[in-house]
Amino acid sequence: MRQTGGMEMVRVSDVRWDIPVTGGMRVPGRIFASDALMEHVDSEEAARQVMNVAHLPGIVEASFAMPDIHWGYGFPIGGVAATAVAAGGVVSPGGVGFDICCGVRLLASVFSEAEVLSRRQELMDGLARAIPRGVGRGSIAPAALMPDVLARGAVAALEAGYGVPGDLARCEEHGTTQGADPAAISAHALERGRHQLGSLGAGNHFLEIQVVGEVHDPDAAAAFGLAEGMVVVMVHCGSRGLGHQTCTDQLRTMGAAMQRHGISVPDRQLACVPVESKEGRSYLAAMSASANFAWANRHILADATRKVFAETFGVSVEGTGMRLIYDVAHNLAKLETHEVDGLPTLLCVHRKGATRAFGPGWPELADDIRPIGQPVLVPGSMGTASWVLRGMSENPAFASAAHGAGRLMSRTMARRRSPGRVVREELETAGIAVSTGSVKLLAEEAPYAYKDVDEVIDVCHRAGLAAPVARLRPLGVVKG
Amino acid sequence: MSVRVLSHTADSGIEATAASFGGLVGELLRGMFSLIASPEPCAATRWIAVHVDSQSREDLVVDVLSELLYHSEVEDLLFCDFEVVVGPRDGSVDVRAGGIPFDAVDVSGPPIKAVTYHGLVVEQREEWYARVYFDV
Repeated sequence: MRQTGGMEMVRVSDVRWDIPVTGGMRVPGRIFASDALMEHVDSEEAARQVMNVAHLPGIVEASFAMPDIHWGYGFPIGGVAATAVAAGGVVSPGGVGFDICCGVRLLASVFSEAEVLSRRQELMDGLARAIPRGVGRGSIAPAALMPDVLARGAVAALEAGYGVPGDLARCEEHGTTQGADPAAISAHALERGRHQLGSLGAGNHFLEIQVVGEVHDPDAAAAFGLAEGMVVVMVHCGSRGLGHQTCTDQLRTMGAAMQRHGISVPDRQLACVPVESKEGRSYLAAMSASANFAWANRHILADATRKVFAETFGVSVEGTGMRLIYDVAHNLAKLETHEVDGLPTLLCVHRKGATRAFGPGWPELADDIRPIGQPVLVPGSMGTASWVLRGMSENPAFASAAHGAGRLMSRTMARRRSPGRVVREELETAGIAVSTGSVKLLAEEAPYAYKDVDEVIDVCHRAGLAAPVARLRPLGVVKG
Repeated sequence: MSVRVLSHTADSGIEATAASFGGLVGELLRGMFSLIASPEPCAATRWIAVHVDSQSREDLVVDVLSELLYHSEVEDLLFCDFEVVVGPRDGSVDVRAGGIPFDAVDVSGPPIKAVTYHGLVVEQREEWYARVYFDV
């Protein structure tokens, strides 16, 4: 038992803590964390937010928190909550976040670390030129592509000449979220997004050249297409201003609608309505269109990345071998069928800073990886490792896993600790090249601002959420 | 400027005080954009005007901050000068905002994705007081 901010937490195992039902909670809270990670939970508001999420109408089993949990706004970052649709379960835009379908894409390559290091500066310069990033405008794809992208996601981008057909099979939802309605996207959201299709953004978004350092599961690595010593590229970004505005618009509408549905929540950011309501369907249609923007965005950025590698090494795009390992979202609500009390039940599964992690045999997975389970991509902080994991059978959180290392300190504290130029020098001393639009902002994303990603991965494994496949080491990072 | 930056693990927040509700809105606008950059002096080269109607003061704060955030991104401007006029019963606000193109600004903070309702406070104490968190 431990007490945090007046809340009781019961130790169930060395990697699981439950918050008993009290007050208006409909289910317990359930935090997957080691003792070391729980120290960070104790020091902030995240556990309170786990309790608040447990108030959502129709929530089943528990309000979950992944090992990288930290203080968010409404939902904690690393929060998972599933609501039973037929029982009036709700959908909450706060359970998806403003950056709808923010996620991670990982590309393989034929290149070794030595080959990349010999041309690293050229690669970094090429990527800095080719990848629009930072504050302000700049995009690869034309605004005219937007309507089709909102409806069909990465498929639209592929047909417009970006990427390769193999990119779709290894993308979550095959690059298209069904049920999208471009008409549900407001004029404001369209305007924000029209010059951002094929852009990285800023903040914690990045494009990173990495090398597969350690393979922990050779069979899974081989099935995914990974090998020790292989250079890979990881892209982290989402739906940009279009998604941010869509969530803003929908929260405003939903706040008014909640009263009509007789719903109250402890935090306005948890505004929600029944999935099977006019407002619920409208939100899911808009969310899906925004998700399609994000799939297409990462698809287009991957295409640009391949071209930079091809040009730098004097080979064809096909010659780079940069096929897609996988693309996962970590801010999305999905309608999925899971077993609840022994019965298959349609759930609205919210993953806010959490990654889907389907286990072996899940039908949605491509044939070549279905026996292994879904790749789960977990970026660490700048300068530390990232990980590829695989989904496990009997996942205790509706097929969900962590999405990152999880922040440890506020941006203000991170900037106070060290100036950006010192962070850059330390990264370069550690052998990691950095290209950034703002040196000042590097401090906010410094390694010391995040938790120990290896600890997060270890807890994922021990908790049955996802199993480690390969550890990736950074060689160069491009940031906004 | 009577604005204090708040600590939040993932995001950014501000709290502000002012003698009037209109003054509070102005401080919040200045505070929000100062999280991104604080050009000195604020020599605005372009001005826009917005009008926002809302059902409550809390909604008005979120809505007007969101509207200026939208214009900032779409017009590619860092706003730093504001003229605020609040309507009857604090149910609406008219803002004239002056800004500088982002490529002429030394950015010191991440772009703001959105204004959140998390922990939102707007109330009259001895002065008007507000607390707002942003997703960055």
